Amino acid sequence: MLSDQRSDLKGGDVNVTQSAIPSLGQHEVLMEASPYGIEKKKLGMWVFIVSDACTFGAFLFAYGYMRVGNPVWGTPFGVGSVVNGVVMTAVLLSSSFTMLAAVRASQTGAKPSTKKWLGITMLLGTIFAALHLKEWFSLIGEGWRLFYNPTGGAAQFGATFFSVTGLHLTHVVTGVIALAFIARGYNLGRYDESHVETAGLYWHFVDLVWMFVFPLMYLMNAH
Amino acid sequence: MSSNRELTMSSYVGIGVGLMVIVGIEVVLTYQHLEPRTLLFSLLSLACLEAFVAVLYLMHVKYERPILFWTIFPATLFVLTFLCYLWPDAFRMASMRLLK
Repeated sequence: MLSDQRSDLKGGDVNVTQSAIPSLGQHEVLMEASPYGIEKKKLGMWVFIVSDACTFGAFLFAYGYMRVGNPVWGTPFGVGSVVNGVVMTAVLLSSSFTMLAAVRASQTGAKPSTKKWLGITMLLGTIFAALHLKEWFSLIGEGWRLFYNPTGGAAQFGATFFSVTGLHLTHVVTGVIALAFIARGYNLGRYDESHVETAGLYWHFVDLVWMFVFPLMYLMNAH
Repeated sequence: MSSNRELTMSSYVGIGVGLMVIVGIEVVLTYQHLEPRTLLFSLLSLACLEAFVAVLYLMHVKYERPILFWTIFPATLFVLTFLCYLWPDAFRMASMRLLK
């Protein structure tokens, strides 16, 4: 069957010789090019990002519903926590730009520069995670738990805050680990610039989600 | 594959500074003692503006083929916008009082 199709290709618009087909791979010969003009892995990452955006959207809307509808919501964040949150935002935003630098360096084939920028991005991601955990331990030290409000108000603050920020923190830690794998693979020549670019797309998405998490989870709960 | 040639790194730094200015505005708004619903929508609006900039320039959608944008974003925004049907009930709950 496949050999018949190959014979048809030879006689049609596509001028492919029988000897050339095996070297291209049978699926590549028979498939159309992507209408999006991007690689499969990048399109796959976009699909993942859309599904993840809906997940975060559902979490944040559920939180917003409870926050607005509850007159005795907990507001545990003082000026120190807000400053910490602004620093976290600056760190994560900076990591997006170092990621951009890594992508650009990989596209020019500058391997040492790519590794350097990926390393700085991972470092900034780790600093962000450490600052985040510091905030968590501070809250836990004050008595906040998943389903307990030490000030006597609505108990849902702990559940919403720890779940939403925990989900985001999981994304950051996963991103740092993924970047480490990408950096190692790129260094060994197993991965190319498209892998770095796809990882960068994920990293920018993590930054984008924080743009919603910080104002809604921190600033809305500042006293 | 997208190209990074459209913007220089100094332009990206400008975008970063702009995003941090928006974060500063959010912090200032926080201490204006606004009603929760007013503060929520102000912060959400600013966050959407930040996200729009991030998607266009950091995630390079501006430099991809338009079909990528039209395939992904209308459907996603449709889903996220429809979650807004929850708000009126939240406002109702906030103004509820127990009757004796």
